[in-house]
Amino acid sequence: MSKTQQGFSTRELKKIFSIVFVAYIVLAVAFYFLAGEQLRYRDSRGNIEMPVANAATVELTAGSVVEQQFTPKIQIFEHISVQWSVFNRVNHGTVNVQLVNTATQEALLDQNLQADQITEGQVTTFDFPALETVYNEPLALRITSPDAVAGDALTPMMKTDASLENGQLYINGQAVDGELAFSATGRDYIWTGLHYWQFAAAGAVILAALLLLLLHKHKTGKKSFILNAMIALRRYRFLIKQLVDRDFKAKYKRSILGVFWSFLNPLLNMIVQYVVFSNMFKFDIPYFPVYLLCGNVVFNYFSEACGMALTSIVGNADLIKKVYVPKYIYPLTRIMSSLINMLISLIPLAAVAIFSGLLPNKTYFLLPFPLFCLALFCLGLGMLLASAMVFFRDIQFLWGVLTTIWMYLTPIFYPITALPETIQSVVKMNPLYFYVTFLRSCVIDGLSPEPFMYVQCALIALGMLAVGAFTFKKSQDNFVLYL
Amino acid sequence: MSKNEKLLHEQKEKVAELQKRKIIEVQNVSMRFRLTDDKIMSLKEFVTRKLSGKYKTSEFWALKDVSFDVYRGEVVGIIGHNGAGKSTILKVISGILKPTEGSVTCSGNIVPMLELGSGFDHDLTGRENIFLNGAILGYTEDFLKSKYDEIVAFSELGEFIDVPIRNYSSGMLMRLAFSIATVVNPQILIVDEILAVGDANFQEKSRKRMLELMSGGTTVLFVSHSLEQIREMCDRVVWIEHGQVQTVGETKEVCDAYES
Repeated sequence: MSKTQQGFSTRELKKIFSIVFVAYIVLAVAFYFLAGEQLRYRDSRGNIEMPVANAATVELTAGSVVEQQFTPKIQIFEHISVQWSVFNRVNHGTVNVQLVNTATQEALLDQNLQADQITEGQVTTFDFPALETVYNEPLALRITSPDAVAGDALTPMMKTDASLENGQLYINGQAVDGELAFSATGRDYIWTGLHYWQFAAAGAVILAALLLLLLHKHKTGKKSFILNAMIALRRYRFLIKQLVDRDFKAKYKRSILGVFWSFLNPLLNMIVQYVVFSNMFKFDIPYFPVYLLCGNVVFNYFSEACGMALTSIVGNADLIKKVYVPKYIYPLTRIMSSLINMLISLIPLAAVAIFSGLLPNKTYFLLPFPLFCLALFCLGLGMLLASAMVFFRDIQFLWGVLTTIWMYLTPIFYPITALPETIQSVVKMNPLYFYVTFLRSCVIDGLSPEPFMYVQCALIALGMLAVGAFTFKKSQDNFVLYL
Repeated sequence: MSKNEKLLHEQKEKVAELQKRKIIEVQNVSMRFRLTDDKIMSLKEFVTRKLSGKYKTSEFWALKDVSFDVYRGEVVGIIGHNGAGKSTILKVISGILKPTEGSVTCSGNIVPMLELGSGFDHDLTGRENIFLNGAILGYTEDFLKSKYDEIVAFSELGEFIDVPIRNYSSGMLMRLAFSIATVVNPQILIVDEILAVGDANFQEKSRKRMLELMSGGTTVLFVSHSLEQIREMCDRVVWIEHGQVQTVGETKEVCDAYES
């Protein structure tokens, strides 16, 4: 009986490669439908957001004009909104809102509102049916009233200490500093998304070429990294399974609640944070419990997986000194056993989401992508930490401090917009930010993130993995001398 | 064809034949250990010492330019005094240590019997540990499943197999470890002293099993302090002294030389 398995036969390889190729095609097609609109459009980078108003413009009596000129860099113009102040009374008369292209004098919007329908601070939104002709055109939002009288008229609001790039606010024909409290939003096309099928086809061609090359290498008996990795994976599959099993069993063996802890842990965390933060800050995040839980699931996995990988080499010193096993197996199995834990903690996340009124949606099927990337990222970092730990045992304490800092720099319980611009850009360099945002986008908004986010998630993961694997490979032969 | 030519031809064929049968090739292996005055294990210490220029290392060559070959089916003994580098060469051959210089080529799967029971998890049951330890030793799942009953029977653990092994006595642990380690018929077996574990009865049984394994046609590398055992078992002997090969040759010659 063969005790260990060696290489693959050509038939096996052909079978595996056909499965890989078919899986690619199925995934590429499935992704097109799962990603939906987000593949082709994204919120425009030129969107003008509603500023926080701090003043009234002018009481909108007959004859007064409030005009905000602006040049939107929005490819598909969709909405424009205006915020009103009514001086805390019921006003009467008609308000006329016009949107004019000042270059062509074309009227894009001309609508009358009844002043008595409008309450204090109300935002009125006007929708356009996908207006694609105003990109970079000079527009004017003109607000007038044909019949209102003083003391019985409302006013549009403004923010005095803001100014719009390429824009100017006029009140009764006079240019003034500040910006009207309005927003203009729409979507932009995504070039890669519009050419999705071309990209998918190119990917298929590259994949096919790679597989054929591997097959050729196999037939001629040449070595290749991917084939070797496949052989190693098959050869050590059983060992990996046993070690993951051991980690998992060891974790819960002597606890009464057992696996149930994987449920309870994130839930308890979430409850504490909810009680503390929902009273302390007024962030006004919709579905705050789900928001918290998403952050916790990602961060807990990150800290647990890296923490376990950190001690994987030192903790298995006895084994490493006595039996030869490829050393990457140890951090790899630690990452995998905490991955199982994380998958279990997705169950309470889904439960809380449903309980809060967020029904499961098709983007749940996209979640394996960020979670897989996160696992690769943790594997890379874990390998780096594990090798450092062999030579310097105080890495463990440094890492403890670092995780705490890392936690506060991850938007787990606060929205990133609550931070000042400079710190925001620091947080946006935090890899976990991307994974958390991806998860939230799917679970809370039910929307796929824009394609660029996929690229960022994958590149961060692969980059970290490359760094970690390289250091690990360089130093692994010396491990046994320092254990 | 003259007699000389014929002899030469035979010689060549013999060499080619041996070449084909070569299963382990140790080529100019040197192993250097770096000794610091005391091991620096923290980043803080490393940085402060490096800065103050106190970071010194001294070198120690545990093996120096060791070369020998082992052929298929041979039982090769390794002898030498304490600290000569016997265990180090076994670790290099089994892949645990990577030689500083030189190389080791093995064409066959190795089962190292250096220390039993490494990789046991004390919270798991005997049954779970059979699979865990077996996987670490490189056995496949199918193989372990088919040999499971044999392992349990040999270890004489009976119903204790489903008890977490932290409750085992040390004798029981060794019996289990021994049974797992010796269930295979590996191509290359590396033995650091013949292991005899457990009570008198089991010791006899385990000694028999070891001898059975070693005489069963597998290639064996065997370290022992008992010249008696070496003389009895080995085809050839490698004598290592101070990290260098003193002699390689027929058992009787080398052992006689070593004893004198």
